[in-house]
Amino acid sequence: MDGMLEKLKILADSAKYDVSCSSSGVGRKNNGKIGSGAAEGICHTWSADGRCISLLKVLFTNRCVYDCEYCVNRRSADTERASFEPEELAKLTIEFYRRNYIEGLFLSSAVEVSPDHTAERILHCLRLLRREYGFAGYIHAKIIPGVSQELLYAIGLEADRLSVNIEMPTSKSLALFAPQKKPKQIFSPMRQITNTLIERKALKGPGTMFKGQDLNSTLNYLTPGQIQLAVSSEQIKENQNMDTGPARAMVPARRGKETFAPAGQTTQMIIGAGGETDRQILTTTENLYHTFKMKRVYYSAYIPVVSSPILPDALTAPPLGREHRLYQADWLLRFYGFQANEILDDENPNLDPDLDPKVTWALRHLDQFPVEVNKAPMDHLLRIPGVGAISAQRITRQRKIAAVKYEDLKKMGVVLKRARHFLTCSGKYYGEKNFMPEAIKHQILEINDGIQISMFNNDQNLLPRAGTEGKRVALHG
Amino acid sequence: MVDYLYDGTFEGLLTCVYHHYYTEKASGIFPREEYQSTMLGGYREVETEEEKAVTVYEAIEKKISSFTLKRIYKVFMSSVENKENKILNYVRLGFVRGPCISMLHGDSIVVPIQEAEYKVNGEVHRMKGLVRFSQLRGGVLYSSIEPDHDIVEFLANHFSDRLKNEPFIIHDVKRSKALVAYQGKWYISHFTKENLPPLSSEEKAYQAMWKQYFENMAIKERINPRCQKNLMPVRYWKNLTEFQL
Repeated sequence: MDGMLEKLKILADSAKYDVSCSSSGVGRKNNGKIGSGAAEGICHTWSADGRCISLLKVLFTNRCVYDCEYCVNRRSADTERASFEPEELAKLTIEFYRRNYIEGLFLSSAVEVSPDHTAERILHCLRLLRREYGFAGYIHAKIIPGVSQELLYAIGLEADRLSVNIEMPTSKSLALFAPQKKPKQIFSPMRQITNTLIERKALKGPGTMFKGQDLNSTLNYLTPGQIQLAVSSEQIKENQNMDTGPARAMVPARRGKETFAPAGQTTQMIIGAGGETDRQILTTTENLYHTFKMKRVYYSAYIPVVSSPILPDALTAPPLGREHRLYQADWLLRFYGFQANEILDDENPNLDPDLDPKVTWALRHLDQFPVEVNKAPMDHLLRIPGVGAISAQRITRQRKIAAVKYEDLKKMGVVLKRARHFLTCSGKYYGEKNFMPEAIKHQILEINDGIQISMFNNDQNLLPRAGTEGKRVALHG
Repeated sequence: MVDYLYDGTFEGLLTCVYHHYYTEKASGIFPREEYQSTMLGGYREVETEEEKAVTVYEAIEKKISSFTLKRIYKVFMSSVENKENKILNYVRLGFVRGPCISMLHGDSIVVPIQEAEYKVNGEVHRMKGLVRFSQLRGGVLYSSIEPDHDIVEFLANHFSDRLKNEPFIIHDVKRSKALVAYQGKWYISHFTKENLPPLSSEEKAYQAMWKQYFENMAIKERINPRCQKNLMPVRYWKNLTEFQL
């Protein structure tokens, strides 16, 4: 074990900026010697920054041939370098797992020599874990752009979840900050993952976004030419459901017991390094959901780890408040039936730091309110600020056998502070009498005043606490 | 109307429910050891009778729902105050309303049960992550926990499947009981720390690596202890390897 302590330090240190933490999406009994998958995901501890630790998140190596501006491991950075041996890392994973420190392994890597060289080493390690150690726990593997299709496929057979980082919300900032990474190189593995999942009839899609739709039809097949970071909604529509030729079968679909990335794919992007608006970010997010049907898009508030003339300077506090609002908006996309162009438009290109995105949307659309909780269909209930997925379910369940009274709402988990202005119970309205956006906004903010000010004047102390929307489902990836 | 005192077992509680219907209405059900007599009403010590308990058990399952049966068992294992009477009220309402009782999310009898169950489920889920094993000499994995509610048995299936080839013990220090499991089989028994073998030779090294890893993962620009404590209450920390030493 000599040197492992040091290696782990270096290689975990470089991996910690990766945001994805979830261990959800695959329920599996122990079909090997050790390990199982919990569909809802399990957090094992929380570090001092309040982020959960679920997987052993490490880089395979931090020796990199790339020189991305924002990255701690860029070639030109003066930092300690180390690499794991596949055997070492497999053993460490098992030993941590046995002690219930972790839910599985999150393996990423810098690009040593070439993408394929690195991917081969990763694959070797994953095979060791799965086959020699009989590890049946969770594995999240990061795919490095530029890796060959055969290797990606082989890694997907071992891993539960795959992710390719899109890095930046627009191709413009990507060209500026990561000149060696090309959009095409990033999209091509994403496309392959989605197509392979379709071939295996295993594509599930994000949240409840595609509920009731069959994603595993040839209509959802992606062809190389059609993917770009579209900005208009027309382009989104073009991007989905194109019935074009064969992207099928770079690798023939194999049936049987083996699974390919059963927990789907995710990606992440950095927020606040380039000059994007929230609208551009959300539109890109929506595109990714529509096109690749990925499970999640993660945001990472830019933290100045390296100084560079083109990046925000080193004293800039990470935009945690913005990241928080973006996650709330992301939840609206995945679980609440919202579209990006509803949440933000030309007049409002950025999310309101003072109010959550559902409230801001509702205030702009007061004509759709108040909603009668005893009559409104599920998708309308979900649009009431302060009503989440669980409380909406409880409302629809109870009203089948007994009317929902105003006093019941609180017990059901509805946040009345916000909700009371937007609903009626058996015809009675309990909110602000002056039913105008400004008046309601004033009411909501007055209640929140103390918290709001401390939350946003001092970004350092911001709680990355997802609102009513985010909190309950946060573990579910 | 009379206060029933029972022996603290689930069967005992069900026997009291039986007597409520067939002997005399209960003004309350209390564990014998904690009961403080009030001057107002009388009390009666109820002897646990399996047959009567089974009658109630089956009636709940058939006339209300098996969901309800599981739910009240979880609430029974909770440390929620006055849980016996909450359960009694719930069962009484259940026999009137039938299976739809679980849909009455705003009802003042249902809500306390729903909340108690939520707490138990929440802690079970949390503990699946917060159990920390140490390897003892001889290879047994040992973990001590101090959960708010009596939940070790709810962890059994999860861990005995996951670690089916490892002998392990999850010790509830507060309640002096433990889950003992090996090769997919498990039982719960009385347990104390005495005569536990010492840690295995490499244990300290892995603990040190984990602790270092844990500390390393925090991004210093984002430090937020309040958020951390919110998600992982401090009362759990003393049994977590990463906070030792």
